[in-house]
Amino acid sequence: MRSHALALVLSASLAGTALAASPPAYPAPLPEEPIPAVDTLPRQWPASWVLVHDFHFASIVDGRVYVLDTTSPERPVRGMIRASQFANMLLAAPRGEVLTSETFYSRLSRGERTDAVTIWDMATLEPKGEIVMPGGKRQQSVTYPQLFQLTNGGKWALVANFTPAQSVSVLDLDARKVVSEIDLPGCAQIYPTGTRGFTSLCADGSLLSIALGPDGQVASSKTVEKVQDIDRHPLFSTPAWVGQTAWFVSFYGQVQGFDMSGPVAKPLPGAFSVGTAEGGAPEWRPGGWQVITSDARGLLYVLMSPNGREGSHKDGGSEVWVLDTAKKARVARIALRGVAAAISVTREAVPHLIVARGDGEIDVHDAATGAFVRGLGRAGGANPILITPVPAAGGPGQ
Amino acid sequence: MGTLDKLTERLSRGVARRTSRRSTLAWLGAAITGAAAFPVLPVARAASGSPHGGGDGGTHTPYATGNPQDPGDRKSCDYWRYCAIDGFLCTCCGGSVSTCPPGTEMSPITWIGTCTNPADNRAYIISYNDCCGTSSCGQCMCNRNEGDRPQVRPQSNNDYNWCLGTQSSVYNCSTAVIVGVALEQPK
Repeated sequence: MRSHALALVLSASLAGTALAASPPAYPAPLPEEPIPAVDTLPRQWPASWVLVHDFHFASIVDGRVYVLDTTSPERPVRGMIRASQFANMLLAAPRGEVLTSETFYSRLSRGERTDAVTIWDMATLEPKGEIVMPGGKRQQSVTYPQLFQLTNGGKWALVANFTPAQSVSVLDLDARKVVSEIDLPGCAQIYPTGTRGFTSLCADGSLLSIALGPDGQVASSKTVEKVQDIDRHPLFSTPAWVGQTAWFVSFYGQVQGFDMSGPVAKPLPGAFSVGTAEGGAPEWRPGGWQVITSDARGLLYVLMSPNGREGSHKDGGSEVWVLDTAKKARVARIALRGVAAAISVTREAVPHLIVARGDGEIDVHDAATGAFVRGLGRAGGANPILITPVPAAGGPGQ
Repeated sequence: MGTLDKLTERLSRGVARRTSRRSTLAWLGAAITGAAAFPVLPVARAASGSPHGGGDGGTHTPYATGNPQDPGDRKSCDYWRYCAIDGFLCTCCGGSVSTCPPGTEMSPITWIGTCTNPADNRAYIISYNDCCGTSSCGQCMCNRNEGDRPQVRPQSNNDYNWCLGTQSSVYNCSTAVIVGVALEQPK
């Protein structure tokens, strides 16, 4: 009680001092502010915004995705979306939705398991609905974008399963239900292919393309042999997309395109190298988590490490090499301000290279010149590993 | 660092018991092995300034075995048994090199590596059983990627969460248990 009394006296005293010191420049007090008050976002986000997935290693059950305004160093974080337990995230901008594919336990770390896709409204970041996936099969791994993808004009989502038996669940986003499950023995990752289907890469170095019927079942499938040498020249699982062409880079820097526009994936002839450079110790190789990305013009950007060797492929990179796929040549080198894990390029009229550094800092570079433009601080959380650009208004999805 | 040789022995352990999808198992076979999930190195490495990263980010007091035949600091990524480990070291999390922390459940399927003990120069088979059911330990992260291959080769990929076949798939930390000697003769 005595301390309360003292606090009141102090409070009154301070208030009196403040009143006495009020300058005449402020004759009116600050206005009262209404509560409760919750911000909202525009239904369509500017092309300068990106989504950054924070895997949150130190508490994987509490992963998250940040919505960032890359033009604003003062206020880069515009919101956050839950991404629990080795989650995946998809931006479905034409639907006005963000989708997360997650796993939950009823007692956080124990209890009944629920796998679900949650549909979030882009304007409110509130959940609009969910699709529960039975069986406890959803693949849990460090987040790869190609474990959760759209097909069928964005009406369906594809979810990778791993028990360790491999399969893909087909979800109807409008009907809010699982429509089928496709067995995928020996193959992994989901690359949308044709109008309604997907391709996966297989353990023997082949690929498997599956076309789906209107019922979500397999209408046709085709194996293409020897598309990669996993032992000697493995491809990073995450490609850069230019339209429906997926550009992969190998651990050693060979670039290989696949045309995914038809029902069967077609390797493009003429693989080429990202090039070489001085200063490697022992040599320059791609390194990081999201190591290759594209811009709206179709240029490729590859995150490069000067310390390339066996086992360095996740170590991150300190430069970005820009490649022209028509010339099959490197056209620029961009020096980063630190070792980075992930890169992406915005779809703005003047595109920016967004860099997630290993120390959590998010940097913005001019994509054309490579010049550093601004830093956003640690706006991507503890472990930013994937960056998703917002498509330009009226443009295609990611 | 010890040498890392991917075991070609087939160790299926819990896999066959826990899944009915035989088509996949046919190839996955017993080679799988699986264990320790995870973390992308670049983040931890760059953040800590250490090639092996570290979730705690700070210094630690070494924790030796006291057995000259089992030398090294069990809280350091350089300890010989950790040559193929990938995750938080259970020694820093309430468990030990060979036991899970109280309250967790040990994954029955594991990722296997062979590591050379610098004291007796034998190659040991090390089983990296994960401990599951409690949230990420967050201490002493250790991740190496020599021999790591993309997810199309699950038996050679350390990005999967191998808390499979346990009551909960929530990952806490990884052990490094000696399950045998790979070679009878010293290398």
